[in-house]
Formats: sequence, structure tokens, C-alpha cells
Amino acid sequence: MENLVTLVPLIPIVPLLTFAIIVVFTRRNNKLSSYLAVAAIFISFLISMVIVFNAVAGMPHFAEEPAVHLTLLRIPTGATTLDIGVQIDPLTVALLFMVPTVCLMIFIYSIGYMEGDPRYSRFFAYICLFATGMLGLVVADNLLLLFISWEVMGLCSYLLIGFWFEKPEAMWAGLKAFITTRIGDVLLMLGMVILYSQTGALRFETVFEGVEHLAQTNPNLMFITALLVFGGAVGKSAQFPLHVWLPDAMEGPTPVSALIHAATMVAAGVFLVARMMPIFVVLAGMPALAWVAAIGAITAFFASTIAIAQDDIKRVLAYSTISQLGYMIMCLGIGGFVAAVFHLITHAFFKALLFLGSGSVIHGVGTNDMMEMGGLRKKMPYTFWTFLVGMLALAGVPPLAGFWSKDEILAIAFVQNPVVWVMGTLAAFVTAFYMTRQVCLTFAGEPRNEDIHAHESPPVMYVPLIVLAVGAALLGLLGVPADFPVLGPLLGNNPFHHFLAQQFHHWDYVHLPHVGFNASVMLISVVMALAGIGLGYLIYGRKPLGAGQRDPLERMGVIWTLLRNKYYIDEIYRATIIRAAIGVADLFLSFDQGIIDGIVNLIGKLTERWSWVSGLFDTYVIDGIVNGVGRVTSAVGQELRYIQTGRVQNYMIMVVISLLLLVGVFLYM
Amino acid sequence: MDWAETLILLSPQLILVVWALLVLGLDLLVTKAKDSLAYLALAGLAPALGAAVYLLLQRTGQSLLSGMVQVDAYSLYFTVIACLASGLVILASMEYMKARTRYRGEFYGLLLLATLAMTLMAASTNLIMIYLSIEFMSLTSYVLVGYFRDDPKSSEGGLKYFLFGAVTSSLMLYGMSLMYGATGTTDLAEIATNLAAMHATMPPMRWLILPAILFMLAGFSFKMALVPFHQWSPDAYEGAPTPVATLLSVGPKAMGFSILLRVLITAVPLFQFDWVAILMGISLVTMTLGNLTAMRQTNIKRMLAYSSIAQAGYVLVGLVSLVPSSIGIQGVLLYLMAYLFTNAGAFIAVIAFSHVTNSDEIADYAGLVRRAPALAAVMVVFFMSLAGLPPTAGFVGKLLVFGAAVQAGYYYLAIVGVVNSVISVVYYFNVVRQMFFLPPTVEGRLSLPRFPMAAVIICVVLVLLIGLYPQPLIDLVSQSVTLLAVIP
Repeated sequence: MENLVTLVPLIPIVPLLTFAIIVVFTRRNNKLSSYLAVAAIFISFLISMVIVFNAVAGMPHFAEEPAVHLTLLRIPTGATTLDIGVQIDPLTVALLFMVPTVCLMIFIYSIGYMEGDPRYSRFFAYICLFATGMLGLVVADNLLLLFISWEVMGLCSYLLIGFWFEKPEAMWAGLKAFITTRIGDVLLMLGMVILYSQTGALRFETVFEGVEHLAQTNPNLMFITALLVFGGAVGKSAQFPLHVWLPDAMEGPTPVSALIHAATMVAAGVFLVARMMPIFVVLAGMPALAWVAAIGAITAFFASTIAIAQDDIKRVLAYSTISQLGYMIMCLGIGGFVAAVFHLITHAFFKALLFLGSGSVIHGVGTNDMMEMGGLRKKMPYTFWTFLVGMLALAGVPPLAGFWSKDEILAIAFVQNPVVWVMGTLAAFVTAFYMTRQVCLTFAGEPRNEDIHAHESPPVMYVPLIVLAVGAALLGLLGVPADFPVLGPLLGNNPFHHFLAQQFHHWDYVHLPHVGFNASVMLISVVMALAGIGLGYLIYGRKPLGAGQRDPLERMGVIWTLLRNKYYIDEIYRATIIRAAIGVADLFLSFDQGIIDGIVNLIGKLTERWSWVSGLFDTYVIDGIVNGVGRVTSAVGQELRYIQTGRVQNYMIMVVISLLLLVGVFLYM
Repeated sequence: MDWAETLILLSPQLILVVWALLVLGLDLLVTKAKDSLAYLALAGLAPALGAAVYLLLQRTGQSLLSGMVQVDAYSLYFTVIACLASGLVILASMEYMKARTRYRGEFYGLLLLATLAMTLMAASTNLIMIYLSIEFMSLTSYVLVGYFRDDPKSSEGGLKYFLFGAVTSSLMLYGMSLMYGATGTTDLAEIATNLAAMHATMPPMRWLILPAILFMLAGFSFKMALVPFHQWSPDAYEGAPTPVATLLSVGPKAMGFSILLRVLITAVPLFQFDWVAILMGISLVTMTLGNLTAMRQTNIKRMLAYSSIAQAGYVLVGLVSLVPSSIGIQGVLLYLMAYLFTNAGAFIAVIAFSHVTNSDEIADYAGLVRRAPALAAVMVVFFMSLAGLPPTAGFVGKLLVFGAAVQAGYYYLAIVGVVNSVISVVYYFNVVRQMFFLPPTVEGRLSLPRFPMAAVIICVVLVLLIGLYPQPLIDLVSQSVTLLAVIP
């Protein structure tokens, strides 16, 4: 393992280099750029798999030592050093299994989906950078590298959501995602600063050792710090009340939606909370964790209800993602570390599958509106069957992946917090319902729009769907509870749980609950899932909607309107926070115009008076002001004109380039 | 250290502050006789210069204001350079400014403030103070360069200078922050001790300190107009009022060297091997590029701008040859003093010429010997000194720095330097050829302005004096550098 860790930096670096190569060299060659990108992520994938298999084979290792490190940089900071490096620990390994695999599928799929786009190469450059961000985040052994990767992803999400920036919605969506997640980023940074100032370190292990002391000396600060770090996750993982950016992020190309929703961006927030688990549980009574659970449970339920009333095929999935992330956060909030990570991974597979499937549908029919679709089952068979697997997995139908992971969460919730369990179970029911609605509206019955002639997507698109469908179907078997009759022992007594549970072995204060198999909870969740599907089938499946028919749920009246408009949260934000911000800006403007200008004018007036009284400076001052204004204006114009010739920029670029060259030359001399 | 002593040691700076404010204040009241302010400014420089010379001869050496500044022979030597440069520039500006602008009162105030900034640059021993004084110097220079706000060239020069300065200053600040982050202090001497302590325990920090040095170097090099941080200077020199170009070419450039030396030798002697290599490279490129570009110029101000870039390259030759003896550093100091009179003299001669002809084109210097024989004669002296020919001050300076390079074993550096000097003869004597061997395009004797000519005479006398009898100056610089403490 010690030797293998030297390979770890390559996992994020290869896509990063590819990003640079595409931007600098191969930008004009679309085909080459896309192949390079796929090759890069494939290399990352191979390295990751080598690491994963070795880590799993060498399992006892992590019980003795929390992680294998490789320090890349040592920054001297006066008395101490700041070490920046990568690490391998069970959590990293788990994500290294998921992230490159899903990314690889999405990259391959993009070759087909983005066909003919005028900025084809640029797209592949961006998604390479995106993958770099996520992979760097996963392998980081310290908060600094984690934060940098986190921000790289934030930048990429902005670039990719607004990729079709000719569409104003896309531009605004990119901006909205960037600004909303920025709120969380600032909170995270504050938390990071506090942790650094209190523990003197940014490396996770050292921080975890240091917070034990902090929790005793200053519990309030510890509590606030944990909440600040959680704030970062709330922004990134689109939890209530910062969830508003994610549905709008649908404006980006569909592979980007899949990337954001499954493998990268939103997973980062859950990953952060999982990674920083010790700082949430270090305080007696775990007050911070209660907040995590509450936010997660609220998000899980409320986002799932919104999904019922959406017509945009991707928007339904977006709210479903928010809801599922709520599940994970909620699960972390009740101490279910392993279950949350397990769900993160299975969810990545089936949500990527669903998104790519919806992309395939959009590719085929050319619209996002499910009301225009219908009857696609025969026209797009591969898409239909894989989509169905994804839908059943998400709905929690045994024995697909989503069933096992969701059930583990509910089993823990049942023991730890009944309220959370009720919310989770209800959400599971609603999830099964809206997914059935989606499948029926899209694939069942006859086409509702005669003008649309759907066709199946090319193999480069549906082969990834099949691979992901296999994952979505079978992955759950890694996490079958050990005491599940027959299957448990047969499948190695829950190897996933066994592996990941070593994560926080080294910190005595981390006590995570272990909950076994509970037949009644499992039975209830299966019944709920089937009930949701059944109800969905009754309403949408038995008699599929014909052309021009309205959604039967509209009969719910006020509730429908409320759900359809997403509880008016965007409108509330616009009426309160955004208006307040604009109001403050206006206030400053009027302050500027009223008071500052007033003062200036007053001074001007006084001067005028005084000069009139003295009668001496008359011509000088007043004429001077008038002429001066004219002269300054024309001078500024002149100056700007000269600046526009562009030479100064060249000077500066030359300065920076030569300086960087010097630094490079002398560092490697 | 009582207050009285502190005040005495800081008297040059204090005099300059008071006088600058006085001139600025009086500018509001005096409406007619603006030129009296120039005399007033000169009258303020004289006691400041006197105080600096007095303190220099006293051989004082004292760290002041909690280690922010240090008044020692080294800083006082540069204080003297600053005051002299400023005095010459004021002399040169009188008729020039009078003919061009109504608003010239604050010009002299700004010049005094620039002088103050230069003396502070020379005395700073703390990164914060260094940054502040460099910014102070830069801000006043931006205003001075763009002083003719109706003249697009002047405004353009000022704005370019400003933009360029802002970028390099931020780079420098970044370097300083890296240095502070690595060592936990901004005091130059403490940086050296902390680095030495860390060097024992944490060897792999070269990759942090070296970028820090290089980034700071970017800021200093901007002031000294070293390649590749030189691009602003031809534009700024050409656009600026010529007296301001004079000041920029001798004042801040010398102060840049003073800070560079102080920082490198006091704070990072541990990395001498690296920075000597860096500066050697910069020196070679600076000399060569400056000289080659100067050859192509048709405007004498641009030619002098490139020539002064090249001159900075020669000074660096002395700087990098600091082992085995202090002769290289002595050479730097002496060269800067010699260069002050030479370059200022050349620039002021150009001012005098353009004052009557309104031209800076080299072609217009044709036949100058017939129209203004005295001016032509002194210009020959300045060009000889710039090219490093005996018996001028420039020769002594070049002798010292190239001699130091040979002594240090950097033969190729000395050879490149000498070859460059030969190249420079070509374009300097192109002007001489114009003045002496070509017929004038316009007939008639020139009536030259009085004050600039006085400044030119002072310069030419000193250039020849230093060239013929350099011993006192050599003694002075050897004393100044021993107080730089760390010189072997």
C-alpha cells in the first residue's frame, strides 16, 4: 500500500493535464479532444481500481493505522509546517470505486450526446477539470486541498451549467449555482479558519486529534465550527434552504447534470460531512449532529413532494436528487456513516443512469417536457429497460441497489430517531410514486405529440446506460446486512460495512451506532415502495394519458399549485433576500447620490459663495471647475483610447510569464 | 535612544516632510510668483542634503522606530544621492515647467515628496516599510509622469506606468507575504536568523523561499527597470515631463538597488548561490537588450531610456560579484553616484536643447556644435562617461564593477559587459557625429536656458572630478558598505 500511494496523486493530475492539453493544443480537433478526455478518465479509473482492490485485499491494515499518507508539499510556516498531501483510507477507497467509474461512463456517453456542438472540445476540457476537482477532493488528506478542489468544482459547475450561454436561462442558472453554493463555501471557509487557528493543522487526522481538546475547552466554538462546516455541505449538496440552484442546473447539457447529480458536485457535500464526522460527534450530546439530521430529513421529504408535480423530465430527477441527498445527510445526522456512504455510492450509479437515460430520451425527442412524450417504450427499448432498472432501484424495490442502501438508512433511523424514520419512510413512498409517474408519462401509452419522431440513441450512448444499469442492479449486494437470512452469510457478511466501519477506529470519541437487520422495518419500506408504485400505476399506468389530457393530480387543487411552484421558495427568496440586497445597493446608491454628492455640491456652493464674497478667485475657481471637468473627461477619454491599443496588457503578460518562467527554472535547477 | 537623537538621525526626512508640506501649502496662497516655490524647494533640499552629509561623515549607524528603518552610512549615502538628484531636477525644471504649465507649484511639492520617499526606501529594513516606501515613491511618480494632463502622451505614460506598477507591486507583495508566511517575521535581520534556524531542521524549503525572492525581485526590478520588467520605462520617459524622466532614471533606480542589496544581503544570504545566478542572468539580458534597442532609436529620450536600462545591467555586474571582496558592492555604490551625474547631466542637456528647439529627435541635433558649442561639448563628456571612457566618472564605475567580476571569476560576465560598452559607443557617438560632423538644418545660435545649464555645469564638473580624482569617493563607499554589516 505504501508504494501504491505514490500513484494516488496521478488520479486527479491526469485529467488536469488533459484539461491543459485540450485547452492549449488539441482544442481545434474535436475527435482527438474527446478521446483524450476519455483516455484520461480511463487512466484515473485504472489507477483507482488498482488502489481499491489492493486496499480491500489488505483490509486489516486500516485497523492499525487510520490512513496511508503521501505528503506532496511541506509549507514552512515559521515554527511549524503545513503539509499538503493525499491519503488512502476506507472512505477514499469507497469513493475511488464510484467516482471514476461513473465519470468514465458519463464521458463516453458525452461523445455521442454532444455530437455537433460548436464547443465540443471545450466541453471535454471542462468535464476533465470537473473530474480533477472531485478526484482531488476525494484523495485529499487535508482541508486545504479539499477546499481548493471544492472550489475548482464550483467554478466548473458555473462553466458547465452555463455552457450554452446563448440561452439566458442557462447563463442565469450558472450564475445562480455559483452564487448559491458560494454562500456555503464561505461558511466552510470560516469553519476551516477556526479549525486551523484552534488546532494548528489542516490535515484531517491532526484536526481530529485537536478538536477533542477544543470540545472540552470551548464547546460553543466547537458547535459553531461544526455547523459552519455543515453549511458548506448544505450549499454544495443542495440541502434546504440552499437547494434552489440544483433544479435550475438542468439548463446545462445532460451529461453535466449527470456529473453534477451523481458522481461529483453534490456528492462532495455529503462526502465532506462524512469525512469530517468526528467534529460533529466530538461534543457530548452531539448538538450539531441533530441539526444535520433535521435539515436532511426536511429536505428528503419536502423535495420528494415537489418532484410529484414537475413536467420537465430532468427537473423531476433534480428534485429526486435533492431528496436522496437529504436521505444521506439525514443518515449522517443520526450517526449512520456507513449507510450514508453506501447510499451515496448506489445512488450515484442509479442517478447517473436515470440522468443519462433522460438525456437519451431528450436526444431522441428533442424536448424536456414529459407531457409531449409518451409511448417511447417501443421506440427506445434500450433506454426504456435501463431507465426502468434505475427507476426501480431508486424506488427501493428489492433486490436492486437502492433497496439495500435505503433500507439500511431506515433501519438506523428506526432505532435512533422515530421522527426521522417516519419522514424517511414517507419520502420513500412519494419517491416510488413520482418515479412511476415519470416512467409512465414518458414511456407508456401512445405518443402525445404527433410531430415528434423519436429514435433510439447510438450505441456510444446506450452502452454506458447498460453498464450503469448492471451497477444499479447488483451493487447493493455488497451491503446486504450480515444477519439477513441466507443472503447475508452467502455474500460475505456485509463486506462493505465491514470495510468502511474501520474509518474512525482511531478516535475513541467517535461512537457510531451499529444497527442490524430489522425485518419489520424492511417489510414496511418494501410495502411503501410497492404502494407508491401501485398508486402511480393506478393513476398513470392503467390508462396512459392521451394527447392534450391534463395531469390527473391537478384535481388536488391548492396542494398541486403549491407543489408545482416548489413551495414558492424561489419567489420568497426573490421577495426577501434578493430584494433586500438590491435595496441595500439602492440605499448605497442614494447615499452616494444624495449625501456624498450633496456634500460635494455643498462644498462647491460654499466655495462659490466665498469666492463671490472675496471676488478674487471668481474666474479661477468657477471657470476652473467647469473647464477642469471638461478637460479631465477628455483626458480620461484620451487615456482610455491609448490603453485600448493593447500594449500594456502585453507588457503585463510578459512580466507574469517571465516571472513564472524564472520561478520554474530556478526551482528545477 | 532618546527622542532628540532619533530626531537628529531622521532630520533629512523630517526636513523634507516639513518642506514638502510647506511648498504644497504655499502653492494655494502664492498665485503669481509660482517660480519662487522652486527656489523654496531648493532651499529645503539644501539643509536636508547638509544633514545627510553631516550624519554620513559622523559615521553613525542606528536602528530606529522599532527596527523599521536604519540610519547608517549605507542609507545616508543613498539619501545624499536622492537629495542631489532632486536638486538637479528642480534646477532643470524651472524654465521647462514655466513654459509648459500654469500649475507648477505642487510639482515642486511632489518632487520633495518623491525625495522623501527615496530617502525612506534607502533606510527601510523591514518588509512592511520597504513596501510602503516603494508604494509612496511609485504613487508620487505616477502623478509626476502624467503631470501634463492635457498632453495625451504624458497621460498615457502615467497610466501605463501606473498599471505596470500596480501589477509588479502586487507580485512583490505576494512575494513578501510568502516570505512572511515562511519565516513569521518581516524584519530583514530576523528573516535571516529564522531562515538559518529553519535551514537546519527543514531543508526542503527552497521552493518556497525562491519564489518569494523572485516575486519580490519583480517589484524591485520594476523600480530599476531591469529586463523583463522594463517595458514601462521608454513609454514613461518619453511621455513624462523630461525633468521627471531625469529623476526616474537616476533616483528610484538607485534606490531600487539600495533596497535590493539590503534585502538580499541582510535577509537571504543563505540563498546567495541562487540569487546570484538569477541576477547574473538578468544582468546579461538587461545590458544586451538595452543596448541593442537603444541603437534603433531616433528619439533621444527613448534612446536615453534604453541606455539607462542597459546601465542598470552594468550595475548588476557589480552586485553579483560580491565575493571574494566587497569591491563589487563598492563598485555598485560608486557607479550609482557617477551615473547620477552622468545621466542627469545628459538628460538635462536634452531638456535645455528641447526647451529652445521643442524637439527630441536625434536628427535635430545636427550641427549643434555651431549653434551651441558649450552644450555640444558637455554632451560629449556625458556620452563618454555613459560609454565608460576615461577620464570620466563612468570609467571609474565600470572599472570597479568589471574588475570585481574578474576578481570573482565571472570572466564571461566582464567580457559581455565590455562588449556591451563597445556597442553603446556606437549609438552614443552617433549623436556626437550628428552634433559635430553634420551641417545644421537650422542656422542661428541657441540661447540656452540658465538654470538647466547651471545644473549641466555642476554635473560635468563632478563627472570629470570623479573621473580624475576618485579616491575620496572610493573611501566613502568603502566605509558605507562596511556598515552594511554582512559583507565579508
